[in-house]
Amino acid sequence: MENTESVLPQVCKIIHIPEKPSFLPHLQPTVNMFASVIEPKDANTLVRKLNKIAPLENLQHVKRVQRKSIDGGKPQLSLLLCMIVGNDGGDDCMPYEILELVKSYQLSTFITKVCKYAATSKEEWDEQCKLWPTSYHPPTYNISGITGFSEEESQSVFSFMRHTINLATSSIGQVVNAAVIVDPSTKQVIASACDQVISSASLANGVSKEGSCSNYLENLKASNLDQQTSLLDGSISEFKPITNNVACVHPWQWALRSSGCWHPLRHAAIVAIEYSAARDLQLFPDHKALSPLKRQKIEESGFHSNGHSYQSLRPYLCTGYDIYLAWEPCAMCAMALVHQRVRRIFFSSPNSIAGALGSVHRLQGERSLNHHYAVFRVVLPEEVFRNKVVDGKASGSG
Amino acid sequence: MTSYVKETFEFMKLALEQANDALANLEVPVGCVFVEDGEVIASGRNRTTETRNATRHAEMEAIDFLVQQWQKNGLSPLEVSERFSKCTLYVTCEPCIMCAAALSYLGIKEAYYGCANDKFGGCGSVLSLHTSNSNLPTSELASSKKGFKCTGGIMASEAVSLLRSFYEQGNPNGISLSP
Ligand SMILES: [Zn+2]
Ligand SMILES: [Zn+2]
Repeated sequence: MENTESVLPQVCKIIHIPEKPSFLPHLQPTVNMFASVIEPKDANTLVRKLNKIAPLENLQHVKRVQRKSIDGGKPQLSLLLCMIVGNDGGDDCMPYEILELVKSYQLSTFITKVCKYAATSKEEWDEQCKLWPTSYHPPTYNISGITGFSEEESQSVFSFMRHTINLATSSIGQVVNAAVIVDPSTKQVIASACDQVISSASLANGVSKEGSCSNYLENLKASNLDQQTSLLDGSISEFKPITNNVACVHPWQWALRSSGCWHPLRHAAIVAIEYSAARDLQLFPDHKALSPLKRQKIEESGFHSNGHSYQSLRPYLCTGYDIYLAWEPCAMCAMALVHQRVRRIFFSSPNSIAGALGSVHRLQGERSLNHHYAVFRVVLPEEVFRNKVVDGKASGSG
Repeated sequence: MTSYVKETFEFMKLALEQANDALANLEVPVGCVFVEDGEVIASGRNRTTETRNATRHAEMEAIDFLVQQWQKNGLSPLEVSERFSKCTLYVTCEPCIMCAAALSYLGIKEAYYGCANDKFGGCGSVLSLHTSNSNLPTSELASSKKGFKCTGGIMASEAVSLLRSFYEQGNPNGISLSP
């Protein structure tokens, strides 16, 4: 069937989703702190004492001392004392040791705002320093893509995402989530899967396309016409009516599904991880497992796995692999991808109900985790979703 | 200090037995049991090394067993959901974010754990996925997102010493591999 509509210019984008929400430079979150003007001769002693009794634990980017030139070029030093714990800001909110310092050095305290998070751009930093000086370290990420994609890389990302959306829209009728694990160095698909919450076929590997297409058509015929209309007219954000079956979006609603073959936790990413693990066992059956201690050391040290010798043996779990998901994963799936050491996650649609990569939670920003992946949202023109359904309806091939 | 009924410790001992079995098989020693109406209905332990699948945690093993079992007995999803809502989990280490989310999706009644999981814990340490989320749209709340009660610190030292011996056993030569 020919698409008779005029084709809009295609807007494809890859958006990095950083570890913390991004704010307009002048709208960054702040915290209130006690500060005081000090005599320059006391600066060293006071800084040393304060670093002991009130270290700037979660504010490593904030400088303890502010240097200002007041009239006549005379320098004036101010010092951060501590965070304000209570909300009245009275001196009684100060820890005892700080109060002692205030007394013995006769400090007159005032309240200042400092920025809560380290700056991620020069613009943010400039704004931060207007409140109180901070330090700024331009990102030195070692996961490729954060600093941009080449044209060739972008095209590869878009084509894998299209493939993923094809899976998500063709497997069992309505839209589900789909997961495709890719080795970016060879552009090879390692494993792919759709949600198996409703129909857990437990296939040994991959997704049976033929079988699912017929299901797809049946479901399509049976499905509500209004929903189809809104699907065709709506933008991706208005896809609500058809996300009912996306496991990561509605993880609590599995019990309301029809019976048959099903499993409440077989979300696409979980199944894809299972397939890739099975593949690894099949390809490298005798491979000696990493000693638990070595693995633990890798976990504990928290460094990224690039360039370490164990990697040359065979990929450890999904180290170095990318995963493409039609929907932003839920907390279960996002954490599963941490466990399996996926390097980069690309998803298409945000998941405002249960998404764990920026929407509800932000796992990539949880510093305590032992592995950190880079997260990207891939924006494809809505025609990708739309054509999928139109084609399926018209030609009978999902 | 709260005093727990004797059966809490009895069930945690069974979970520790599972963890011990993991240790004997060179797996990270975490184990669990699911209890319904005072009876153990499933047990599980870590199987991540054997499967090369880092998501095969004790809880996941036990959950898969239960789902399969109940499905074989012809239970519908609603009936399975009802059964899970009567289940109490005893696990030697605080459920990680993945498992805590899974337990919340299943809608279990309650969980007891041994030691806290500072790096990955999903029941208070890193995230609190066991608490009900009032930000959720009402349609989601209507299903089963009501959270589950979670109590930590049950025989924690036993759980920790198992984990410790695992990391010592993995280093027979005593060579320090720290960077
Ligand atoms: Zn999920
Ligand atoms: Zn877990």
